[in-house]
Amino acid sequence: MIKFSKQRKTIIAILLLSLCLSLLSCGSKDEVSIPPTTPAAGGIFNKFFPKKTGDADIVFIQEKSGFAEAKLKKSGKEVATLSIADIVGRSGAADKFNSMTIAGYPAAQSGSQGTALLVKNRFQVQVRSKDDGFTADDRRQWLEKFDLRGLENLK
Amino acid sequence: MGFFGFGKKENIADMVNALPSSGITVLSLKALDFIVPGGWSNYTNFDEMLRSVTRENDETFLASVKNRAIELYEDSSQGYQSAMRLYRLVDSTDKALGTAALADKMSEKFSLLSFLTYLTPKADKAQVIDLTLKLIAELLAFTKINGIPGDSFNDFIKALGEYAGESRMRMAGLVCFDGLIPLGAGFINFSLKHLENFTPSELADNTTFKSMRDEIPGDNDSDKLGFIRRGFVETQGWMKGFIAEHHLSANTVIDKIRAFVDVTEDKLDYLAAFLDISTNYFEHTGTQTLAARLIERAVNEI
Repeated sequence: MIKFSKQRKTIIAILLLSLCLSLLSCGSKDEVSIPPTTPAAGGIFNKFFPKKTGDADIVFIQEKSGFAEAKLKKSGKEVATLSIADIVGRSGAADKFNSMTIAGYPAAQSGSQGTALLVKNRFQVQVRSKDDGFTADDRRQWLEKFDLRGLENLK
Repeated sequence: MGFFGFGKKENIADMVNALPSSGITVLSLKALDFIVPGGWSNYTNFDEMLRSVTRENDETFLASVKNRAIELYEDSSQGYQSAMRLYRLVDSTDKALGTAALADKMSEKFSLLSFLTYLTPKADKAQVIDLTLKLIAELLAFTKINGIPGDSFNDFIKALGEYAGESRMRMAGLVCFDGLIPLGAGFINFSLKHLENFTPSELADNTTFKSMRDEIPGDNDSDKLGFIRRGFVETQGWMKGFIAEHHLSANTVIDKIRAFVDVTEDKLDYLAAFLDISTNYFEHTGTQTLAARLIERAVNEI
């Protein structure tokens, strides 16, 4: 990982955010509502992610149309990824959610390293292990740390 | 976007599979391994990368991830194709010469003497603009691939701090091959001075700029030059920190390059030109970055 000093980080961030504003015409994310048939802007999902606590840090790494992803780091080491994906319009994507529930939502294993649940029949919330010590139980616990009710109430 | 025979459109898996596992680009990048010790894997097989990034082995599951990654790349509205275009644009590789260099390789090394007639060291001004445009391309490609992650300055700063593996290697290449070797230890201040005197019309004559003009913010070339200058000024601190952190100098890097290129002291001026036209490290590592991010997204979406 490139080690940026605080000052350097700030100036690079300012530059890139100016790029963002110039290129992408980012609007206020709070003003965005979810379109009924096309994927929602990824930025509206950020506020539903678990919050940083203790030695667990959340680092957002991707924000694309219908998708937001963060790394979960413990003591500086990546142990899992956390994501919310809008699966609207993708036929069959919700079919796997038929074997279990987590926090009252339909849930499923996603490969051997991921556990996912489905909110509002379109928002797939997933936790994937990036370290052998991060178990299926850990994934379930971190899925429950998302603001699932908030996501369900998204208009 | 290229096309293979029989009209098959090149997808992101094809692009990774087409990357070389040897040659001057790979040797050059491996020469910088001391900067990113063990941090870069030269993936030239998409399926191998797929298994590594996802940590999965089930073929049916992996096939779903692969299909989704390909689908995401194909959707031009997602910005991935624009990022790839930027990575490709800033490499000025002369593939014919690269091939000739390989054919003419003497024993374990390439002999620079064999190519002197083909090589013209770039004027300093041209080198400065090449370096600067690569830096701008990297910043633009980052936003196209990753968006602007998070809800705050702090979130975004943290996302930038995650530069690792092939992305970090690409930045090492930028500093070494386009900064230190052609322009020397003072390349940052030297470039800033040249950029101050650069005119919009000079910029307009630059071939790389012509190709990426539409991607650079600004209503006209004067605005775009202003943006480019600001980009360099704002990131100089990062480059200085990178050089200090790894104790980099032109000599330390040239010594590493000498492991595979035979170059004498009086011909060092030609080394940068040789690397410039015989390597495409931006496209090479950029393809790997793009594929890794696509796989990461795809496995979370299926």
